[in-house]
Amino acid sequence: MKKTQIVLLIVIMAAIAGLISIFGDFSSYETFASASKEPGKSYYIIGTLDTSKAMQYDPRVDANHFTFYANDKAGSNTKVVFNGEKPRDIEKSEQIVMMGYMKEGTFHCSRIQMKCPSKYKKDQIAVGKG
Amino acid sequence: MNNTQFVGEHLWPGQLGHFFVIVSFVAALLSAWSYFMAAREEQLPTGGKRWLAMGRVGFATHSFSVVAIFGALFYIITNHLFEYHYAWEHSSLDMPMEYLLSCFWEGQQGSFMLWTFWHAVLGLIVMRTAGAYESRTMAVISVVQVALTTMILGLYLGDSIKIGSTPFMLSRHAMQEAPIFASPNYLEMLTDGNGLNILLQNYWMVIHPPILFLGFALTLIPFAYCIAALWKGDYKGFVKPTLVWSLAGGAILGLGIMMGGAWAYESLNFGGYWAWDPVENASLVPWLTLIAGMHTLLVYRSTNRAFTLTFVLLLLTHLLIWYSTFLTRTGILGKTSVHAFTGDGTALTYHLLTVIGVLLLWSVVQLVVRWKQLPRVPSEEDILSREFWMFVGSVILFLSSVEIAITTSIPVWAPLAKWISGKDFAPPTDPMAHYNNIQVWVAIIIGLLSATVLYMKYKKSDSKTLAKRLGIVALISGVFTALIAWGQDITTWQYVLMLFSACFGIVANIGYGVAVQKTKFSKLGASVSHLGFAAMLLGILLSSYNKHAISLNTTGMPFDFKKSTTEENIRENMENVIMFRGIPVAMGQYMATYIGDSEVHSKDRRIYYRVAFEKRDTVTKTVTERFMLYPDAFINPKGQQGLSANPSTKHYWNQDIFTYINSATDKTKSDTAGYRKYNVAKTGDTVFLSTGYMVFGGFTNQISDPRYEAKEGDLAVKAQLAVYDAAGHKTDIAPIYVLRDRQYIMQIDDTVQSMGLYTRFAALQVHSKDSASLEIQVKQTNPMDDFIVLKALVFPYINVLWLGVIVMVLGFCISMVAAIKAKAAKDKRSGVADGYAISLQEADGEQ
Repeated sequence: MKKTQIVLLIVIMAAIAGLISIFGDFSSYETFASASKEPGKSYYIIGTLDTSKAMQYDPRVDANHFTFYANDKAGSNTKVVFNGEKPRDIEKSEQIVMMGYMKEGTFHCSRIQMKCPSKYKKDQIAVGKG
Repeated sequence: MNNTQFVGEHLWPGQLGHFFVIVSFVAALLSAWSYFMAAREEQLPTGGKRWLAMGRVGFATHSFSVVAIFGALFYIITNHLFEYHYAWEHSSLDMPMEYLLSCFWEGQQGSFMLWTFWHAVLGLIVMRTAGAYESRTMAVISVVQVALTTMILGLYLGDSIKIGSTPFMLSRHAMQEAPIFASPNYLEMLTDGNGLNILLQNYWMVIHPPILFLGFALTLIPFAYCIAALWKGDYKGFVKPTLVWSLAGGAILGLGIMMGGAWAYESLNFGGYWAWDPVENASLVPWLTLIAGMHTLLVYRSTNRAFTLTFVLLLLTHLLIWYSTFLTRTGILGKTSVHAFTGDGTALTYHLLTVIGVLLLWSVVQLVVRWKQLPRVPSEEDILSREFWMFVGSVILFLSSVEIAITTSIPVWAPLAKWISGKDFAPPTDPMAHYNNIQVWVAIIIGLLSATVLYMKYKKSDSKTLAKRLGIVALISGVFTALIAWGQDITTWQYVLMLFSACFGIVANIGYGVAVQKTKFSKLGASVSHLGFAAMLLGILLSSYNKHAISLNTTGMPFDFKKSTTEENIRENMENVIMFRGIPVAMGQYMATYIGDSEVHSKDRRIYYRVAFEKRDTVTKTVTERFMLYPDAFINPKGQQGLSANPSTKHYWNQDIFTYINSATDKTKSDTAGYRKYNVAKTGDTVFLSTGYMVFGGFTNQISDPRYEAKEGDLAVKAQLAVYDAAGHKTDIAPIYVLRDRQYIMQIDDTVQSMGLYTRFAALQVHSKDSASLEIQVKQTNPMDDFIVLKALVFPYINVLWLGVIVMVLGFCISMVAAIKAKAAKDKRSGVADGYAISLQEADGEQ
């Protein structure tokens, strides 16, 4: 084998290894139930805000603590703790995508993306701290 | 539609604009057809001259119409004709001129117009310079222009099929369901527009989109030359113009991308210049393939190798620009991007897919048809040759772009993957880490290669000279790496390697430019742009590795978090600090104090928050440095809840302190403090305040106050008050009491902004000739009611990054000038306008 072929072979092998590793990195969309099978592991959950239950946020106590209830696609209702400031307009969202993990029946969320019903409003993302 | 006669509409600019949309479309079509015919009849005795002339007229007409469309829309926006939906949706009366320009590119049609405009400008240049390639390159460009103008055609075929959307849509057509449009005089009610997204109201947003779109447009020209070369079956003549245009594209697109980064850094608050956001990635991917293609083109120019890869990369680059438009404009990224524009529905999706499909098919067919006769070199390249390592480098850049494209395109291929595997794929939970972990290797390898290849020669390098030179460079850069890693406390081994790669690149490229090329300007292009790239790597590494928050919630806090132990981790990481007005908070080496807000309630409700930073000498405790930062925010923008913040940054040569507001009190709601009454009579009477005190200094009827206009019959008295704050600083204030026409009372209040103190001279009681008492009403807002939640980050050595970008772009420009000059010199020698014969000796940056 020629030296150049060896070098190219190494590059191709590295590319394949890289490809496998990036696929391992991808997450998936789950429900609260399926996410609680592996507590502590981060997933995305698509759901809606439960406006019938109270939201809690007081920046004077803790600017990075916001709790609310959400329904997932399967319809189960779970308490969500978001470690960031309360995303503006979350009340008006028609869908929320939450990223986080389940722990002791609560969903700990570090990123929220809101889909807004209005055509004239852009969707928004809120990112938690830490 | 009924036959309501609407009052006050200006219909002619829209009709004129729409007329020019149609003209530009038809002219592009005519131009494309004529150029096709010109190419076909090239071999005939007439040489297709007539078709060529017609193609030129067609393209010129097209270009003129594109400018006219711009003019019409510009007229509509600057004259605030809100009967047009585009003006209503993207502009408002209070916007200054420069932001009226940004309105163009906020909307979809405007961005397509900008893109079309740049293509037209570049097309005119190609028309004049392409020589023997004119008919074919211009045919390609015209076809793309046909595709682009359909995007703003707004043509309805029947009820369900819509081709493009016109920027001249009337509001009453766009929003038919709104009851306001039932009345003929609706314009009297439609007094102001929706306005521009406040995040886009930033000077970067005025200049960044035109540059970026020029970069997008520049990828069309190499694409056109590649198609033309295959079509013509001439694999030599295209090299130089393609190289020049690729260099221009690399420079402008790279600049545009980094300007986007600068905009994100200055006006968005995700705390950085790069977030691997899908929209950023969508323009980075074609840049990477363009750079890779440009390098393999150099290999081809000097050695005849790498022809196929060059064509694949350069054709792909322009297709990827269309793909990025598809990703960002159709809303397909909805779930994954902040930027993603709400799509124009499925019409645009199919429209863009059709265009991509046509261009892709054209590229593939041209390549396949010519496959057998494409230039190839049977022999192996030498392992110590420049071309081999440039080839490897290009492959790695390409692989890097593939990785970014795969992850960014998850929403595109996820439905298919779900159908196959049943798993509902989502983006990585930590996208930054995902990309960084892979791309750090690309950075390391490309950094090393970009420095090494310059020391190699085409065909074969002398291994002893090479080893000696690279050995010296490695030694020097090793020393630098050790020093910086120690000084900056960089310990993660991958990043130490990246640091070495960056240092190696800087040392090697400076060494090469100075010692080997003797700073001969025309040859410096490669070493300068590679130096810039290496400096960028260094800047990225230093600014992100040691980026840290100094607004930690750990010191001087007057309240208890009362958290359970499980959440202490979160608490450790909290990077937001609450700052009550007037109470200093420790931030890194600084004491920061929130002093108050700007009180200037402008129309756009932007409020500046004044935050004072002080640095004290650790021994003597004297203040060594003092500066103010003014992060600002819109409270409840456009009737929404909450706030939208813009950062404020203190720049040093070696670091930036970057602050932004995360939360603030809404003064219009929280101002609940009431007035308290105090009676004072004698000079020296004192009123105690929640912070400080106020001493009465008598009253007088000698008033010279701009807020008071004296009138006949006024009885006006001014109370003189000296206010001392907690630190003993004195401020004089003078509220005024006016009895006008013996009938009604006016009070002119006075305030001490820094203490949140409002005083009112409420009443005057005269007891005798020289004895009177005053009722002074005092209101002081509770400092606990006035607070901001601030985040402060330190970016060390971020200027190295910006400097690197500038140097890299400069390098591209030098190469471009050198390539154009080489072309001109060759033309002179051969005496043929289009004789771009190339010679193998003339390698760029010979030793």
